[in-house]
Amino acid sequence: MRAQTVQRLSMGFYVLLFFGYLFGPLIIMSATAFNSSSFPSVSPWDCVSGEWFKVLVKDDKLMTGLSNSLMIGAGVILAAVPIGLAGALVLSQLQRRARSIVYTITISPILVPGVVLGISTLIFWERIDRVVLGTEFFYDGFFLTIIGQSTFISAYTMLIFLARLQRFDTGLEEAALDLGATRVQVFRHILLPFLKPAIASAAVLAFLASFENYNTTVFTIVSESTLTTVLASKVRYGINPSISALAVIIIALTLLAALVHEQFKKHEARQKLKSEAIASGKEKSGSSPKGRPMRVPVMAMTTMAFVAMLGSVWMARAYDVDQCKVEVAHEKKKRSEGLTRQRIAEARARREQEKSLEEGSDALKANQAGRQYQNIFAPTNLGQQVDSGSGDDGASGAEAAVEANQAGRQYQNIFAPTNLGQQVDSASEND
Amino acid sequence: MISWLKQFSSRNGVGLSVYLLGTVTLWILVMIILPQLLMLDFSFRHNWHHMDPAKMGGPEDVYTLVNYHFLLYGSPNNPDPFNVVDVTVFFRTIIAAVFVTIFDLAICYPIAYYLAQVAKGARTRFMVLALIVPFWVNEILRAFAFRILFGEEGTLNAILLALGILNEPIDFIREDVALYAGLGYAYILLMIFPLYNAIESLDKNQIEAARDLGSSWLRIHRRVVIPFAKPGITSGCTMVFMLTAGALALPQIIGGPSSLWFTQIIYQWFNTGSNWPRGSAYAIVLLVVCIAFVFLVMRIFKVRIGEIGR
Amino acid sequence: MSADVQLENVSVRFGDFTAVRDASLTIEGGEFFSFLGPSGCGKTTLLRTISGFQEPSEGRVLIGGRDMAGIEANRRPTALIFQNLALFPLMSVWENIAFALEVRGESKQQRLKRADELLELVALPGQGNKKVDELSGGQKQRVAVARALCAEPEVLLLDEPLSALDLKLRQHMRTELRAIQQRAGITFIYITHDQGEALTMSDRVAVMRQGMIDQVSDSTTVYDHPETAFVASFVGGNNAFSGRLTATNGTEATIDTPDGTFSARTSGHSALAVGDQSIVFVRPESVFFTQASEQGNLVDVTLVSQEFEGHFWHLVLETSGGRAVRMSVMNDGAPARFLPGEKLTIGFSAANAIVLPKGELAAE
Repeated sequence: MRAQTVQRLSMGFYVLLFFGYLFGPLIIMSATAFNSSSFPSVSPWDCVSGEWFKVLVKDDKLMTGLSNSLMIGAGVILAAVPIGLAGALVLSQLQRRARSIVYTITISPILVPGVVLGISTLIFWERIDRVVLGTEFFYDGFFLTIIGQSTFISAYTMLIFLARLQRFDTGLEEAALDLGATRVQVFRHILLPFLKPAIASAAVLAFLASFENYNTTVFTIVSESTLTTVLASKVRYGINPSISALAVIIIALTLLAALVHEQFKKHEARQKLKSEAIASGKEKSGSSPKGRPMRVPVMAMTTMAFVAMLGSVWMARAYDVDQCKVEVAHEKKKRSEGLTRQRIAEARARREQEKSLEEGSDALKANQAGRQYQNIFAPTNLGQQVDSGSGDDGASGAEAAVEANQAGRQYQNIFAPTNLGQQVDSASEND
Repeated sequence: MISWLKQFSSRNGVGLSVYLLGTVTLWILVMIILPQLLMLDFSFRHNWHHMDPAKMGGPEDVYTLVNYHFLLYGSPNNPDPFNVVDVTVFFRTIIAAVFVTIFDLAICYPIAYYLAQVAKGARTRFMVLALIVPFWVNEILRAFAFRILFGEEGTLNAILLALGILNEPIDFIREDVALYAGLGYAYILLMIFPLYNAIESLDKNQIEAARDLGSSWLRIHRRVVIPFAKPGITSGCTMVFMLTAGALALPQIIGGPSSLWFTQIIYQWFNTGSNWPRGSAYAIVLLVVCIAFVFLVMRIFKVRIGEIGR
Repeated sequence: MSADVQLENVSVRFGDFTAVRDASLTIEGGEFFSFLGPSGCGKTTLLRTISGFQEPSEGRVLIGGRDMAGIEANRRPTALIFQNLALFPLMSVWENIAFALEVRGESKQQRLKRADELLELVALPGQGNKKVDELSGGQKQRVAVARALCAEPEVLLLDEPLSALDLKLRQHMRTELRAIQQRAGITFIYITHDQGEALTMSDRVAVMRQGMIDQVSDSTTVYDHPETAFVASFVGGNNAFSGRLTATNGTEATIDTPDGTFSARTSGHSALAVGDQSIVFVRPESVFFTQASEQGNLVDVTLVSQEFEGHFWHLVLETSGGRAVRMSVMNDGAPARFLPGEKLTIGFSAANAIVLPKGELAAE
């Protein structure tokens, strides 16, 4: 038993670790969206701020890229869904050998590196333009990107349709024919309604795959841009948390979509149970109770949204971002000022230390100078003055010599009555 | 052929047949086959397209191996015996892709097994959802998330500094750690789901029977699960390898100066280098290697191409 | 409007395999006609050939006197009810029923009206707005019939429609279908492997074996006057005593078998000569207990088992030669009379025994 528990615990730990690896970067990135510091970071945390969302919206290049991405996505849906449908229908009517050949060819774009698809699309249509048409008609970022992306996205949609077709009862087609329908009517009345859910999921998949594509798009987009190419180009110009803000929005949308999808699936399952109950006579047809199971998650979501709204409103009132930023800036300034003051104090202490050392040597020099001056009136000492001055220190010998000279010179002229004024000047010159 | 066409159009009606056959033909020819052939053709040409458009289609527009030659040997002024930069980058890309594939396989297999055989009902659905959600986020944004985490001023460094494990921040990006962590992360979904599908279709009774006969877990995996899951393993490995070798966004965003990726070189030839034929040649080389790898793996694991499907 | 259906030397081959071999018969307009046979005998193929989903390799199919060669299923005056019904799951009941009119471009009003009429005909009033998967098995059956009738076919083809239903429902539906056919007055062509169905519902039955039609007659004739050993053994249970014909006068014959010498009537269809290998067939319900001292066809047997089926006691007895003889005694309320292992004598009258040329018997 113990071995099994150990096994289960270690498995659980591993699972947690794995999901930590999976979600960690995203959670941290989402957190950085709310930090007002200009480089996305979690520490140091400055202020909680929603400003980067505003920056995001104001980023023109990004917004242009976003709208381009949306348009291209719509174009890809219009291309890839019908192509994938045609592929699936043709494949389902082929015999084994032809079928596997065509299947391999149409699946190959998925296996080919995206860059290769982009390059080949670019080259092909550029050549068509130049050689066949002599215009620049096809050399357009939108057209090329839709074509290039659809090349492999059609394979994805085809797979979806193939899976759905597998579950199709061909007897239904025969029944419809037997009742007098033409081929086209069979397609319209029987096949297409059956494929409707597949068409929906194919469209969603096509759009998402187009929206997030980079490798192919970066070659085919020529002079235009999409959201992904704009984002990738930001690496050159430096990043700020507005991209974290974008990530937060996308994650929120994804979670919402996932929840909606789950709800939808639950609803479908419940519908099926209801039909079976009616068939076996346990329930009457036509009744459609709202059903209690539906309410709980709906209530949970509305409560959460409500709380979030209240919370953000309260926070907005009690908490002014600009005030916080001012405070933070103030803090930073104080800290840096404190640092500066510290440094100044340190510098001063150092200088004082040096100075005391200097002053010590000053006093020494002054003494020496004084001794020299004691012999000053001994005419024979004039020459010695200089020597003793320069002889005392090694290092500051030159200095001392200069000082002694100057001092000597001053006092040389002291009794010349005309030099009184000069004395002062030369004295003041020296300091 | 004609009789098949007649049969087809009578089965489907004329209008529908035109739509079906026409669309598929267009797709296969104009979107899939011709562009690749043209790219192949382009790779064997001089770069008159950029250097002197007037010469295109003229007598000097001949086939040449100069682009492939350049990949191997560099320019004529190259002092080295071969194109050290490009060739090194190429091999490093491929080898790194192999390692990333093995890494992904190793970390995803336990999760796929757990999901397919051990977890039950609601927990399975929840985990599947939890697996999918991160990958609906744009791969570019995910790359940036890694940049935020691994940068010099990034979160990982901040944590390590705060914990005292480091005294100075390590530039993970420069050290390529960021790139490999990001690549390992990027295609996990494409490894897990083929594995999950393959393992899920394994009859649980087989595993129980093996346990009952006294087999250890290691042996069960080796002899029962893995052979059964071979198509899924092959499928997952091929996809991860191809996508990693062909990755462009991740190296551009979290690649350091010493981890240039082969696709980046291709991009440069198209962008700043303005040498489309040369870029095509490099792209062909990448494509051929990818395909060769797929066939190699299929041969090793004895799997047919029809079994690689999602 | 009902039409007759003529098959002229129809053969259907798939590669090496012959599914239908030289079938020729005429089905009268307004008749309830059944094809009866075991699985794989070709009845489904024949049905699909008549409805247009299969081209015959040889021969012609004529409906209402018109050659159907080259006319596709959606343009033939036939409607087919599939074995799995093939109701359109995404449409409601009335939309299913009125589909044939929708295809012709009729207005919604018209379609609703006709759907309601047909729902009345098949005894499902007011169920029009239900979804298909909200219906029970029997209800789905009737919707399938209504849908087919809405196309106003001249011939309605039914491919083992009752095989998925339980016994009670099957019996009920038999009567229903027969009633619907008489009300609608169109030709019904019905295929089944259940002879109970075929006999109770049909005006005439064709018994098929391995792509060939052995006999075409009405129900009582098929049962009482089988023309081949296969028909005798397939349609209803039958005891078979193989032997050699020793004497005949045209209507009666004497056959020497390991279990005794029996006299039986001849079928009148196939001339049997003295010395021919033949089989004497006796229905289980025609066998009675008797004394060994009596005259007529007698067999000494040992009781092996007895089963109570409600209606009948089914007894399995064994002759001294090891042959199993089946006997059905009507349940008169008394408990079982004999014990396994008891030695008894059974008998049957010559009028109730028929002798036929030796041939393939139906599988047990």
